[in-house]
Amino acid sequence: MFECTSISILATPSGMVPEPIDADFPWLSLSILFPIFGSLLVPFIPDEGDGKQVRWYALGIALTTFLITVGAYLKGYDPSQEGLQLSERVFWLPELGLTWAVGADGLSMPLILLTSFITALAVLAAWPVKFKPKLFFFLILAMDGGQIAVFAVQDMLLFFLAWELELLPVYLLLAIWGGKKRQYAATKFIIYTAGSSLFILLAALAMGFFGNGVPNFEYTHLANQNFGTGFQLLCYAGLLIAFGVKLPVVPLHTWLPDAHGEATAPVHMLLAGILLKMGGYALLRFNAQLLPDAHAQFAPLLIVLGVVNIIYAALTSFAQRNLKRKIAYSSISHMGFVLIGIGSFSSLGTSGAMLQMISHGLIGASLFFLVGATYDRTRTLQLNEMGGVGQKMRIMFALWTVCSLASLALPGMSGFVSELMVFAGFVTDEVYTLPFRVVIAGLAAIGVILTPIYLLSMLREIFFGKENVEFLADRELVDAEPREIYIIGSLLVPIIGIGLYPRVMTETYTASINGLVARDINAIERINKKSDNTSPGKKFYLSTIKAPSIKPLSLL
Amino acid sequence: MLSAAEIAWLIPLLPLVGAVVSGLGLISFNRAMNRLRKPIAITLLACVGASAVLSYAVLVEQVSGAPTIEHLFVWASAGDFILPMGYVIDPLGAVMLALVTTIALLVMIYSHGYMAHDEGYVRFFTYLALFSSSMLGLIISPNLLEIYVFWELVGMCSYLLVGFWYDRDGAAHAAQKAFVVNRVGDFGLLLGILGLFWATGSFDFNGIAIGLSDGVSSGNIPMWAALTLCFLVFMGPMAKSAQFPLHVWLPDAMEGPTPISALIHAATMVAAGVFLVARLEPLYSQFPFIGLLIAIFGTITCFLGASIALTQMDLKKGLAYSTVSQLGYMMLAMGCGAPIAGMFHLVTHACFKAMLFLGSGSVIHAMEEVVGHEPILAQDMRLMGGLRKKMPITSITFLIGCIAISGIPPLAGFWSKDEILGHAFNAFPILWGVGFLTAGMTAFYMFRLYFLTFEGSFRGEDQDLQKELLIAAGKEVEDSEAHETGEIHESTWSMSAPLVVLAIPSVLIGFLGTPWNSAFAKFLNLDEALETAAKFSWGEFLPLALASVAISIAGISLATLAYYLNRINLKSSVADRFSKINNFFANKWYLDDINEKIFVKGSRKLAKEVLEVDAKVVDGVVNLTGLLTLGSGEGLKYFETGRAQFYALIVFGGVIALVALFGVLGS
Repeated sequence: MFECTSISILATPSGMVPEPIDADFPWLSLSILFPIFGSLLVPFIPDEGDGKQVRWYALGIALTTFLITVGAYLKGYDPSQEGLQLSERVFWLPELGLTWAVGADGLSMPLILLTSFITALAVLAAWPVKFKPKLFFFLILAMDGGQIAVFAVQDMLLFFLAWELELLPVYLLLAIWGGKKRQYAATKFIIYTAGSSLFILLAALAMGFFGNGVPNFEYTHLANQNFGTGFQLLCYAGLLIAFGVKLPVVPLHTWLPDAHGEATAPVHMLLAGILLKMGGYALLRFNAQLLPDAHAQFAPLLIVLGVVNIIYAALTSFAQRNLKRKIAYSSISHMGFVLIGIGSFSSLGTSGAMLQMISHGLIGASLFFLVGATYDRTRTLQLNEMGGVGQKMRIMFALWTVCSLASLALPGMSGFVSELMVFAGFVTDEVYTLPFRVVIAGLAAIGVILTPIYLLSMLREIFFGKENVEFLADRELVDAEPREIYIIGSLLVPIIGIGLYPRVMTETYTASINGLVARDINAIERINKKSDNTSPGKKFYLSTIKAPSIKPLSLL
Repeated sequence: MLSAAEIAWLIPLLPLVGAVVSGLGLISFNRAMNRLRKPIAITLLACVGASAVLSYAVLVEQVSGAPTIEHLFVWASAGDFILPMGYVIDPLGAVMLALVTTIALLVMIYSHGYMAHDEGYVRFFTYLALFSSSMLGLIISPNLLEIYVFWELVGMCSYLLVGFWYDRDGAAHAAQKAFVVNRVGDFGLLLGILGLFWATGSFDFNGIAIGLSDGVSSGNIPMWAALTLCFLVFMGPMAKSAQFPLHVWLPDAMEGPTPISALIHAATMVAAGVFLVARLEPLYSQFPFIGLLIAIFGTITCFLGASIALTQMDLKKGLAYSTVSQLGYMMLAMGCGAPIAGMFHLVTHACFKAMLFLGSGSVIHAMEEVVGHEPILAQDMRLMGGLRKKMPITSITFLIGCIAISGIPPLAGFWSKDEILGHAFNAFPILWGVGFLTAGMTAFYMFRLYFLTFEGSFRGEDQDLQKELLIAAGKEVEDSEAHETGEIHESTWSMSAPLVVLAIPSVLIGFLGTPWNSAFAKFLNLDEALETAAKFSWGEFLPLALASVAISIAGISLATLAYYLNRINLKSSVADRFSKINNFFANKWYLDDINEKIFVKGSRKLAKEVLEVDAKVVDGVVNLTGLLTLGSGEGLKYFETGRAQFYALIVFGGVIALVALFGVLGS
């Protein structure tokens, strides 16, 4: 009865990236340009200033974009292919080497779908926006196209442009619609991200101008370049800082609680659902895929940082008294698993990292949406002021419970599968020495205990217990309305779907991840061989990765 | 003909479908669903009932000699990693299926009466169906990972049900504590599963056992690693089956509605740990040291539970500690290499303990008519007494339960407990001594519960005592005018019928496991059973059996003298004289206090310090010195050697130094 249908697409033996497959219909260009074009028409929508017309228009555009990406996935995408598909190339400025190159492989496609899905729901979540609705929906739609572009473009310079372009809407959304400290938060956000993205530009230029001939920034070209190890290390370090800010990696994370703490619910959903994933995607795309030699050196650092993320952010989240910041820190904690997955040289672990991004995109968006919906009712985010609201808002309580359980990786939901894949992938990863794996897995598993502690005590403080009479005196607590139930329901369908049968999602990208991991393993073997020749008896990589001799357990 | 085992996947699926439909209904059409109480309850009962019918069909097939059936499909795959899921039907699973569905069904019928006036009636039934589904899924899981999946799901159901009355602070805390303590166990279980997967490349019970024994014998896996992995896996059962020191959640979990205490926290979920150890028998039987460890933990738990139960005044908590103690017996059996004896005690215990809990629920339900819906009062035995005349069915079934658990032949508890003690006597005589002593204590505290509750005169109308109890519990005393003026009366049919039904196996089921011809053992493992039966000698059996009956009777006599005839005043003659020991037991060995001080407060303090570091140091430093990031970017290239320990040292060292610094400065 055991049907064995494992997918056996191996990377091309030379470690080369396969040739892109051209699209027969410009699906991806359409999905980038359609929402941007749609956003440009927003000013011409007749609207009385209360947003009632423009929100329908925005929803229409966002839904159509979602349908275009779904169409791209169903019509033009073949999950069994490792390389680039749906590829389109238009020479833009050939003498500069700038090409409008878009395409999708297993790394991009799921995230493109996630982006258009979450954005459509964010527009629905933005229904009550009354302040400057036209500008708000214009920015959201522009961001939709920009974010799809980040995942779809296949040219590093173009990537940098898309990455930068997407900062502007976020900055404005934070600075105009945010909370009390919005200016501070927005400024901090822009300084952190813009400052760090300088490294992307530097690395892009360096990599594009590498070698002789016309500069070429296309990923397929860069992947087949023979960068020297030192060069790779430099580029890798720079990119790690840039993407580490975005992901975020402790200690580069402090912009996030501020930004998340001040954003409104729909912006929040986009920040947690998509923006953080840009960091993880870019780490996979550039650091792991284009710079395999450096990745072989840096991977242990990623793993150590991942563990720090998990434990450090879980502890800060536990101590936080502000609901939004608590969930923000929980996001950081969850992204730690992405780092560990990327750092593991196994396709299981790396698949887990990819799934964790998708899963957190869905779960994070749902939790942040609930935070916003709760704030609309309680008008406070301080946990000590709430208490016992579960009796007035039963459905809200139920939705919160389900989403929190999803976030603490309850089996049957996507978070469990992804964390399990990262764990299993890392533990069976023979590249690292056994003691190192034992310590890291043990520490990361402490997150398994810490996550329910902060999430369940949060639930207890908001919903459980006696009703707080003073608190309720000047507040009308209405239970969840159908729109809100619908948004959470839409997010729960994929969360539970992936949890019950993860292959619906993993099959879309396994081929690409296998190829990527095979390249990285090749790199390690190359290094090992080289060092065997130069200094016999001393294995360059394997032997130097020893367990940390200190006992980090004393921290806990 | 289609065999029942072929469609056994329906057994967990049916209640799940019921639960999902009514759960979605509750979210979308809350009011309408809450009005449709009866139809929904009947539908969910029908779902669980259909599962019960199927389970019995499966059991009959297995008894008549059907082979083990296993069906798998690929659930997740990546690279060369393939993770199958599916279901397996074997004798062990068949017994558990029948047991769980029976008790779930009876508890649901009981709940119809118990929760009749609760506004969360539909939600309660939904949770019950969800729990049944997860528990049944756990039983038919073919590998460790699938067990882990359902393990967590039953834990979640337990969380939801303990916190069912979420307006009570006690319930809120107990639910969280239950989940977190179980997660501590799951932490070990998860690491153990992963480690075993690393060591053997398998999640399958037999695959793990074979792989590990090969690895150890060929020297690929060092002995200490194998032992560590086995112990890590055991941490899961330790938390779930409330073994010392992770038992602390179970007594608190009594904050949930009483039917839940009967179903989840006495008969089924807490037995899941014992069940898992039985499933892992091929693994554990290779390592006698692990067996010893399990036996020691079991014995400590067994004694601890009984000793705390001696002093409890809360009826449900008394039963809860009794459950802890009995689970200890089961673990002791597992550790002695006698999983069949342990499983048999699991089955008999499930019957009589479920009956005892449902009986206590019946008592509490009646008490609420007099003292109001305040668990502090309704569950305290100091306010009970003399209920036998008013609640004849409840008192008779409760008495049967007490006799059964005390180990008086021919009731069920005698056979199963005596078998465990027999095995312990042969394997670890010292542990047998403790278990033997505990048997006496068990008889004493159970009859103490019975006499205090059902005999003597009714004390429930004593207003002063009520106030005293409320003050002792730290509750506000409300004005006495609001108190209820009901009468104690026997419960409705839906509550008393399950009691009567459960009384039958509590009396009779022991005959399935007589040591000279155990049908139960033959069913689970024919060869071993025949061997045991052949070795059986009355000369060996009788002295041990007589000794345990004697100590039980001694316990019962003491309880009779002290609480029925009032001849001895235990307070003055024992409790006051040995006040230190008494306080030690009454304060639950101070484990809750230690837990609170070290873990709860400690983790809060640590979290605060980390947050402070984050707000002041990390944010501050990174904000001010963009240069530092540049510098570290340059610096990173010097780590070209890729030394993991170097990175780890720097990162961890930095974090630890900061936290330590703030710990010192902050305090």
